[in-house]
Amino acid sequence: MIPLLAFVSFRNQRSCGFRLWIPLFLAWLLLLPLALLLLPLFFVLCAVGEVNAFQALATLWQILTGLKGTYIEVAERQASVLIHTF
Amino acid sequence: MNEHRMQILQMLSAGQITAEEAERLIAALENGRSSGSSDEPAEPAPKARPKYLRVLVEAQEHDHTGGPTKVNVRVPMQLLRAGVKLTSLIPAQARDQVNVALRKQGVQFDLNQIKPENLEEIIDQIGDLTVDVDDKHAKVRVFCE
Repeated sequence: MIPLLAFVSFRNQRSCGFRLWIPLFLAWLLLLPLALLLLPLFFVLCAVGEVNAFQALATLWQILTGLKGTYIEVAERQASVLIHTF
Repeated sequence: MNEHRMQILQMLSAGQITAEEAERLIAALENGRSSGSSDEPAEPAPKARPKYLRVLVEAQEHDHTGGPTKVNVRVPMQLLRAGVKLTSLIPAQARDQVNVALRKQGVQFDLNQIKPENLEEIIDQIGDLTVDVDDKHAKVRVFCE
């Protein structure tokens, strides 16, 4: 399943930083019409590049669904970054 | 020789099971007998497929000023599988160009030899991968869970 939520946290020694919950499901809803509009162009580009468009779509979908559960945290004394998808 | 072991050996001689399966059944039988469990020989539990690749890094500055730098990354294995499938989308002309560029750098590697089923096997075997590096300046752990 595609990730529906993302949590992003940034902390800096100079500023207090921020924590943000991102509703990815809204982003997907907003991007869906744009993706449908760009679909013919995608098929044209795949045809030009001699790439199987359906296979490419399936791979991109697998990458998107594979993002769920990704956790990246880098922390040092002066700054820290955290990205977590649900 | 007990009855259950005889049954396993008879099944092996009849070709109903392979030698490896017979060995696993006998081992499970002996484990069950030693732990005092039920009379039925238990099948060994299937190995759970790992779901995530974890990378943990803790590095200390050389002059030991400030705290350590910590990196904690968890990547879903499905993402890795999808990522390696991208190689199958590379057009043949691009693959040839990449092969030429690799050979120029002295790397005798042929991208055309990479097949999705080989990559799947690699991904599956990564589940047994564990990397532990312990240095006075850094600790690195890579494993699957």
